[in-house]
Amino acid sequence: MSSRTQSCAVLVVGGGPAGLSAAATAAAHGLSTLLVDERPSLGGQIHRQPGPGFRVTDARRLGRDYRRGLELVEEAARAGAGLRTQTGVVALRSSHAVCFEEPAAGGGGGSGEIFEVKAEQVVLAPGAHDRPVAFPGWTLPGVLTAGGAQALLKASRVVPGNRVAFAGSGPLALAFPAQLRHYGVNVVLALEAGPGPGLRQVASLVAAGHGNESLLADGLRYRVQLARWHVPLRYRRIVVRAEGDGRVEAVVHAAVDSSWNPVPGSEETLAVDTLCVGYGFVPSNELFRLAGCAQRYDEDLGGPIVEVDEWQRTSVPGVLAAGDGTGVRGAPVAVDQGVLAGLGAAAALGAVSPSTAEGLAAPARRRLAAKERFRKALLSMYAVGPGVYRLTTPGTVICRCEEVTRRHLDEALASTADLNVVKSYTRAGMGLCQGRNCQRQIAALVAERAGGAGAGGDGGDGRTGRAGGIAAVEPTTARPPVRPVPLGAIADDSIRDEGLFVRD
Amino acid sequence: MTEPARHGVGRPLLLPSAADLAAPLPSESDVVIVGGGLAGCAVAYYLAKSGVEVAVVERGELNREASGTNAGSFHFQIAIHQLSGASTSEDRARLLLDARLHAAAAEHWYELEDELGCDLGVHQTGGLMLAETPEQAQVLRDKQVIEHEAGLETELLSAAELRAGAPYLAEDLAGATYCDREGHANPLLAAPAFAARAIEAGAVVRTHAGVESVHHLKDAGGAARFAVRTSAGTIRAARLVNAAGAWAAELAAMSGLALPVRSEGLHVNVTEPREHVLTPMLQHIGRRLTLKQAANGTFIIGGGWPARPEAPPARYSVRWDSAAGNAAVALRVMPMLADVRVTHMWTGVMTFVDDLTPIIGEFERLPGYFMCLATTGFTLGPLVARSLAEAMTGKGPVALPAAYAPERVPSLSGSHPG
Ligand SMILES: Cc1cc2nc3c(=O)[nH]c(=O)nc-3n(C[C@H](O)[C@H](O)[C@H](O)COP(=O)(O)OP(=O)(O)OC[C@H]3O[C@@H](n4cnc5c(N)ncnc54)[C@H](O)[C@@H]3O)c2cc1C
Ligand SMILES: Cc1cc2nc3c(=O)[nH]c(=O)nc-3n(C[C@H](O)[C@H](O)[C@H](O)COP(=O)(O)OP(=O)(O)OC[C@H]3O[C@@H](n4cnc5c(N)ncnc54)[C@H](O)[C@@H]3O)c2cc1C
Repeated sequence: MSSRTQSCAVLVVGGGPAGLSAAATAAAHGLSTLLVDERPSLGGQIHRQPGPGFRVTDARRLGRDYRRGLELVEEAARAGAGLRTQTGVVALRSSHAVCFEEPAAGGGGGSGEIFEVKAEQVVLAPGAHDRPVAFPGWTLPGVLTAGGAQALLKASRVVPGNRVAFAGSGPLALAFPAQLRHYGVNVVLALEAGPGPGLRQVASLVAAGHGNESLLADGLRYRVQLARWHVPLRYRRIVVRAEGDGRVEAVVHAAVDSSWNPVPGSEETLAVDTLCVGYGFVPSNELFRLAGCAQRYDEDLGGPIVEVDEWQRTSVPGVLAAGDGTGVRGAPVAVDQGVLAGLGAAAALGAVSPSTAEGLAAPARRRLAAKERFRKALLSMYAVGPGVYRLTTPGTVICRCEEVTRRHLDEALASTADLNVVKSYTRAGMGLCQGRNCQRQIAALVAERAGGAGAGGDGGDGRTGRAGGIAAVEPTTARPPVRPVPLGAIADDSIRDEGLFVRD
Repeated sequence: MTEPARHGVGRPLLLPSAADLAAPLPSESDVVIVGGGLAGCAVAYYLAKSGVEVAVVERGELNREASGTNAGSFHFQIAIHQLSGASTSEDRARLLLDARLHAAAAEHWYELEDELGCDLGVHQTGGLMLAETPEQAQVLRDKQVIEHEAGLETELLSAAELRAGAPYLAEDLAGATYCDREGHANPLLAAPAFAARAIEAGAVVRTHAGVESVHHLKDAGGAARFAVRTSAGTIRAARLVNAAGAWAAELAAMSGLALPVRSEGLHVNVTEPREHVLTPMLQHIGRRLTLKQAANGTFIIGGGWPARPEAPPARYSVRWDSAAGNAAVALRVMPMLADVRVTHMWTGVMTFVDDLTPIIGEFERLPGYFMCLATTGFTLGPLVARSLAEAMTGKGPVALPAAYAPERVPSLSGSHPG
């Protein structure tokens, strides 16, 4: 074991709403708690605080998402949790984590530092990233993901483009163009792949709405805002390709059927200089996979999601999970799951009695149950259609890191249905993003060949993970490092190689 | 930055079709080969090419074990793991034999792309064996004498010559030997290419057919001597080739045979691509290191650091300490890599024959039962597979050396270091 090891009772990975509330809860019970987040600022996806170098002069102008984030950060700090940014967990084995602290920006910090944390309990709250969707032209400069555009706005205050189209789906499809517009971006078109809200859906949302009033209000607010700003909002349409010479100059969009398959003859072209794509989010599950936590598949929650019990405990002892990483359900759910995970860890370490923990958990559990009813009602509107994985042509680059086209993948897929083997034949997934952007798409290609079930299976089977579809395709072997790490940080001279065959 | 060459771009892959790999297993075949790694696929190719009826059974996917997880290097210089430290005359004879075999394997590899008619990423880059201390420099001089005697030309470089010729290395190394025959190929493509050509020549290659038991048919009357029960059905064969790599001993045990082998999980690091700086492959004579820059600009760093065994079907997992120790040796010899980021780590299971000499040939005790197993089996695989196939068809110019016989065993003992 290396000299660079420290220990704590609870390690929390991820400084979004889930991680911050888990850390606050665990620390409030007197447990030595360390929270690490690989980004330069805390708050996670929606509550992201401005990056280093920005000083907040008027908190009101940054909006309530920012203020809520600040509250969560301050609460965790007050409870006594250690908070470290620019520190990512790059390897994990049960509750022992290898952390990589990046060098301070600009300040000759060398390669950064590796240190190991031996925790008794670890709460994984890594959040989610944009569901990657490949279509002709998706790699053109000027095509951004919603999360990427949002990060630009929140952390760096950069506004993308002069004529921006948004295409996507899900509860956030309205929020996102509204947010862009709020930051002064000229949004010329917003497309939602799902249907417009019919009377029946509205009725079921309202019926499920008790305890969800603010989410309902949000949905309404975004729609009103878009209308007021004259942003055309069109339902049941997706972008089928982006065109341009060296950069996006136009988008071609088309009507889709209920499986999101484009309807022939419905194409329209619009000149834009930026396209934001947001087909929902998929859990960042590489740490769960490394730890060996049991998972199940649910496309509407983002795909492979980690199984947790009533205390957010995974199948691996000492490893808990909270937030979007357990299925994409939004920030309020993330906060409450964080509370449960914090209590679960505290109970496991004897810092709180089971009955007290149960009492403290009750309000969070009530809110979570209400949110779950609402989510199920939303599903009927926003179910991900398998057509979204069928937009590529043979020339479309699917793995952008290694520049692997679908044609090349098809050659490999003619030989094997094993993702690990496809990866070794084509190098798809071997690049810097480590497969985060291409593996789902390749799994959909495998599923398509295996029976035409496609992404979700048109019958919905793959979507809920019962049989067939992407759900049935085994992911590639999980390996560290979860993020690229410089050799200089990894190297440890104290580990010698005497004797050719060392065993643990 | 030079545009990294990405394999496959605009060039069709030579791969067997999924339909062929899933075809029903025949009930009989002259030869059945167990194992779809480089050894098994190459033996199948050379046998099928000579018109022998042959079927390969692989329990998983092709090329997923050692043959697809190694670093793809052809190391011909005598390396750290081959030096027992005992320096007896027996030892010397073994090293001589080994050096000759490796020299022949080099010739074979450099003809292989023509033979198979496809791109296997073969590059003859030359290789440096580095010494950090004066004692290690002496080991280099000693091993070079043996290499010379075996006909493997290596050049001794002083510390100053090394600095001049390889300015990208640490300045304070003690010297090196250089062998221009060394190089590498793409381990991800070689075995599948052999399999595809074997199928074209009439071989059956069946994946997801794991051997569960081997029955010996004493008085069957016909030619079949073995009934091999697999998860995809039973196949009878007159001859069996054990090419099961790290599981060769397990398979041999099904026939009551013992093999003097051990398996170790090994660690490999690979980095992001960088501008091309390093042409020769690097090894270290005193510490565990192999380091090279692949054609796509990535650095592949290994050298025998251990991985953690896991219960199947899980693959051996990464020990972070191995990554850290391996990286430290790499930076000791090439400090300029400090800011290059590692993007992936993987593990593979390597078989070590106790006397470090390949086991190639037929068991006298069990006629019809053949072995094809080597420690540095990526380098040696194609050559020893051809030699075995030639011996099995009786056509070969090469009679297999007695030193490779499966039953040389009694004298074998744990002469490996550590
Ligand atoms: C564009 C957009 C708009 C949204 N709008 C809304 C909305 O209006 N209402 C709503 O309820 N929700 C919204 N959401 C969803 C909301 O952001 C998430 O549900 C919420 O942030 C989930 O919280 P979390 O803590 O699980 O994850 P996150 O907030 O994503 O935080 C995860 C953190 O973990 C860190 N991390 C990940 N991996 C590692 C690692 N290996 N090591 C160290 N750190 C790591 C990340 O850097 C990140 O900071 C929106 C999301 C997006 C992207
Ligand atoms: C990390 C690492 C680095 C290496 N570096 C080098 C190097 O640089 N140069 C070099 O020359 N060599 C190197 N080697 C060694 C080399 O990779 C191996 O010697 C060689 O690949 C062995 O090939 P094989 O076909 O015998 O075994 P394998 O490729 O392991 O194939 C054996 C196959 O048999 C199958 N099998 C096993 N049991 C059964 C059963 N019961 N039924 C059906 N199928 C079965 C397995 O699934 C497997 O696919 C390295 C090895 C490793 C692990």
